[in-house]
Amino acid sequence: MTADDSELKELRASVREFMEAKSPEEAVRKLMESEPHFDTEVWAQAADQLRLPGLAIPEEYGGDGFGLVELGVVLEEMGRALFCAPFFATVLLAAQALLASGDKEACARHLPGIAAGRTTATLAVAEDNGSWDPALITVRALPDGNGGWRLKGRKCFVIDGTTADLVLVVARTVAGPSLFAVDRSATGLSAEPLETLDATRAMARLTFDSVSATLVGADGAGGRIMARVLDIASVGLAAEQAGGARRCLETSAEYARVRHQFGRPIGSFQAVKHKCADMLVQVELAEASAREAARLATEDAPDFPVAAAVAHACCSRAYMVAAMENIHVHGGIGFTWEHPAHLYFRRAKSSQLLFGGPAVYHERLLDRLGI
Amino acid sequence: MEPDDMQDFAAEARRFLDAHAAKAPDRTAVTWGEGDDSMAYFSSLPPEEEAEQVRRAREWQRIRHGHGFGWITGPPEYGGRGLTAVHDLLYDAVESEYDVPDTGVLGVVGLGMIGPTILAHAQPHIKDRWLPAMYRGDAIACQLFSEPGAGSDLASVATRAVREGEDWVLNGQKVWTSVAHHSEIGLALTRTNPGAPKHRGITAFLVPMDAPGVEVRPLRQMTGGADFNEVFLTDVRVPDDHRLGEVDGGWTVALTTLMNERNTVGSEGAGPVAAALSPDHLSALMRATWTWDDRALRGRLAELLVDAMATGYLNDRARRTLRAGIAPGPERSVAKLMYGQNLTRAAHFVSECLGPRIIADTGRWGTYAWSELLLATPALRILGGTEEIMKNILAERVLGLPKEPVTTMAKEVRS
Ligand SMILES: Cc1cc2nc3c(=O)[nH]c(=O)nc-3n(C[C@H](O)[C@H](O)[C@H](O)COP(=O)(O)OP(=O)(O)OC[C@H]3O[C@@H](n4cnc5c(N)ncnc54)[C@H](O)[C@@H]3O)c2cc1C
Repeated sequence: MTADDSELKELRASVREFMEAKSPEEAVRKLMESEPHFDTEVWAQAADQLRLPGLAIPEEYGGDGFGLVELGVVLEEMGRALFCAPFFATVLLAAQALLASGDKEACARHLPGIAAGRTTATLAVAEDNGSWDPALITVRALPDGNGGWRLKGRKCFVIDGTTADLVLVVARTVAGPSLFAVDRSATGLSAEPLETLDATRAMARLTFDSVSATLVGADGAGGRIMARVLDIASVGLAAEQAGGARRCLETSAEYARVRHQFGRPIGSFQAVKHKCADMLVQVELAEASAREAARLATEDAPDFPVAAAVAHACCSRAYMVAAMENIHVHGGIGFTWEHPAHLYFRRAKSSQLLFGGPAVYHERLLDRLGI
Repeated sequence: MEPDDMQDFAAEARRFLDAHAAKAPDRTAVTWGEGDDSMAYFSSLPPEEEAEQVRRAREWQRIRHGHGFGWITGPPEYGGRGLTAVHDLLYDAVESEYDVPDTGVLGVVGLGMIGPTILAHAQPHIKDRWLPAMYRGDAIACQLFSEPGAGSDLASVATRAVREGEDWVLNGQKVWTSVAHHSEIGLALTRTNPGAPKHRGITAFLVPMDAPGVEVRPLRQMTGGADFNEVFLTDVRVPDDHRLGEVDGGWTVALTTLMNERNTVGSEGAGPVAAALSPDHLSALMRATWTWDDRALRGRLAELLVDAMATGYLNDRARRTLRAGIAPGPERSVAKLMYGQNLTRAAHFVSECLGPRIIADTGRWGTYAWSELLLATPALRILGGTEEIMKNILAERVLGLPKEPVTTMAKEVRS
């Protein structure tokens, strides 16, 4: 299903209204210092009132069957508001991994709960060095002799790793990287919260001590699944980044209009004016690349992987620039804890590096272009 | 070759330091995984530890002063040594080989900026009262310049000082005041003549920070710590003899401080700064993160080092000019500008080598610790004059380019 422009507008308006009501700055600040880092009641409301978790899940699994375009709108709004919720890990990482696996049984088992907002989930890929490269995975999966598997090893930087009900894990078998489903309550699974640069996105280290797991998709299909998930997730992340960058730009421009120094608004100094215009250029490119990549995804266009790589790099840069300059335009006040500018700076840096960072995603882009 | 007396002076400094301190570990030549990996540019210590650090800073300054190295260029009548700026530089170079307490809390603002201003503009008995105390480490000084409405445009300070007999009564609010919470005195800019053009109605006062009506409230920075403060002045009485310079002539006083500020801020530091710009440290980091042969990152590193090293050469040349007795001019803003940019680039370069390792603390040495420097970098482009203000100084005062057109109301104010 695809929403038309006016439906997208409506979706954006209702999500923004929800964010303004449920995720104002005070709420974000409170949640980033509490455990868990999200409000279960607000999460339930997002599911019941707006049906957000199920938005991009196929109807056969209890969702509304929309795609990345609609998901992008939601993520832009969540990024603007720094919404603290298990949305990113559950809907963008875990649900997309299940779908990419083509494993109908696993989808039927897990997606309806995710779509309804009853199940939260995450995807554990990176290990101590933070890389998402399947070739560097060391967590092992061994057959348990009864058709099941046992996982051994450690995952790191797992988003919502201490709270997710379902953990999808990329582990190595004889056949290669493969995807597994692990229940939060499985014996031998322990989760340790990590201190994070961006406290609005909780992360954890997971230890698997011979944990019982179910194979998702074919044995050895992990690499292919991961490539697909990374494309989709980086476009989703790009949308979130574009939303955050837009918010930084708006805040800066607003401040430049009202802050006076030397008897005039600072926005009337060409240096500040051009800085804001430079931010605008970045934000426009970011939005275009994120939205266009999402559109190509829904069309299953062959250009999608390239567009995804462009969106990932472009939005990472744009958000970082916007978040840095937002502090600078605010001067001293932008450097205080009380001002929200640093929350965006932290999110921008953290997002820029989430899937490996510029060195990695630049290479992915060139690779896809055959360079 | 330095003249003989210089060699004697350096030898004397070495004897003193040998007796009072250990040789410093070189923070630029790192053994990966060993030692302290803290990269905090601003203090983020819990209050008790911070108080202990301040105590150690004061004590080291006292020892240094007791042996004639506390105020090398200062006039002997105020406890100084009466030597030249070259001796001062020489001592700094020798001391940097030793592991001595960090005296930044005293040095950066107080001894670096406020001390010279007091020396140049205060009345003799005020110099007697405060200069020896400051250079002995007993009195920490802060700069009460910025206000909520007066940052880049410092001449628009609104804190009022009204004369009452032999006293002045101060009312207003200061902000971003570094180290005010540790300070005994503050140099305040106040408005004494609201009718006069902005630059001509300002008077400078030395305010004892324990005077009734002075209230210091910590401001938390985005790094999490609280190095700076808001300072509220409510009916604070300051005797007229605490005035620096002429009534309504405070702008000249402010310029002395600001000139010294640019010199202080633009010079290289030890600790995290040295580590972040050190080829050894950065190459060790690249080895540890398996980015050693990443061509893109190597290119970035080279560019970063070109700028950092060229800035070092610029500073070396400025020091040589200083030795020749020539005061640095507005071109020093280049160093201030580059200092902030070099460190900012270094922090972002490092974060790209580390990748996700800088976004969550896995406990691994030398990884997440860099986030402390990263979070400090936005301040380096703001404090002591923003990048735009530095560029305006270079364009207008060095290159003589015309100022941006201003409204008639603001015109006289910017002259
Ligand atoms: C960590 C830290 C420590 C500090 N310590 C002290 C201290 O100890 N004592 C003290 O007095 N102050 C201190 N300051 C204050 C500092 O000097 C001011 O923050 C700084 O001068 C900028 O002023 P502002 O914050 O009001 O920003 P503004 O002046 O409001 O500037 C906002 C933006 O507008 C731009 N802008 C302003 N005017 C112009 C122009 N003419 N042309 C082009 N662009 C312009 C600026 O570059 C900036 O990007 C500190 C600041 C920081 C961040």
